[in-house]
Amino acid sequence: MKKEIDIMRLLKRLFDLDNLIADKEADKKIGFKIDEEVGLLSLKRERASLLKEIPKEFADTYERVKERYTLALAEVKNGFCFGCFQQLPTEMLVRSNEIVTCPNCGRILFWREE
Amino acid sequence: MNLASLLSRDRINLELKSTKKEEVLRDLVYMIKSKTDAELIYSTLLKREELGSTGIGKGIAIPHCRSLAVSKLEIAVGRTLKPINFNAIDKKPVSLFFLIIAPPQDPGNQYLLTLGKIVQICRELSKGNLINKPQTPDEFISLINEIEKKLIKKR
Ligand SMILES: [Zn+2]
Repeated sequence: MKKEIDIMRLLKRLFDLDNLIADKEADKKIGFKIDEEVGLLSLKRERASLLKEIPKEFADTYERVKERYTLALAEVKNGFCFGCFQQLPTEMLVRSNEIVTCPNCGRILFWREE
Repeated sequence: MNLASLLSRDRINLELKSTKKEEVLRDLVYMIKSKTDAELIYSTLLKREELGSTGIGKGIAIPHCRSLAVSKLEIAVGRTLKPINFNAIDKKPVSLFFLIIAPPQDPGNQYLLTLGKIVQICRELSKGNLINKPQTPDEFISLINEIEKKLIKKR
């Protein structure tokens, strides 16, 4: 069994990786060279292997929320989900190592390190 | 938006001793974050380089990505004592590095605007042969300021 804190770490890497792939067109416009073949393929492979490392339950949630909102993770700040800007129920505000989703929008919630 | 105002003295290191791509990326990242945040950014940057080198040629690279590890736009600048291999598009070694990391959500499009601006400024730096001119972080910031002013006048 993987610890939730490690699963969260993998979800964050997956999230960053997805944003990287999403940004490639903008990068090209600015003038960066993008390797659409070998480079992109290798990132897609890494994505697949990251997904395999994440327990199915969480991987499915991630993919489902990503499909709907593009950004599947949202920060918890001042008691709010910063994905949908709804206030979270008090019992959810105690920072925990468990992986929780916003009861309103379903995004996977994370707290900042500092 | 003024680039010089986004730079800070303690995030400019003009004497990096690293000789490898990975080391330089790590040095740059650790100027803005530490621990697991830094490791997340580092791993995303390495993946970004797989997608194509951010070495734009003439000795300059602009490693960049969005990362969940930052809550606002963060910039660091490094210059290595010796140019290093960064698989740049012109195959030439690189010595000046602009690191730019943005949060995933970027309502004002600040990230892409800043990135575009840095590319423009870097072209001026290489045109004027200015990469090695500044000797201190303060001199570096003033140089960027000057170039920015010049670019505004040109418009
Ligand atoms: Zn929400």
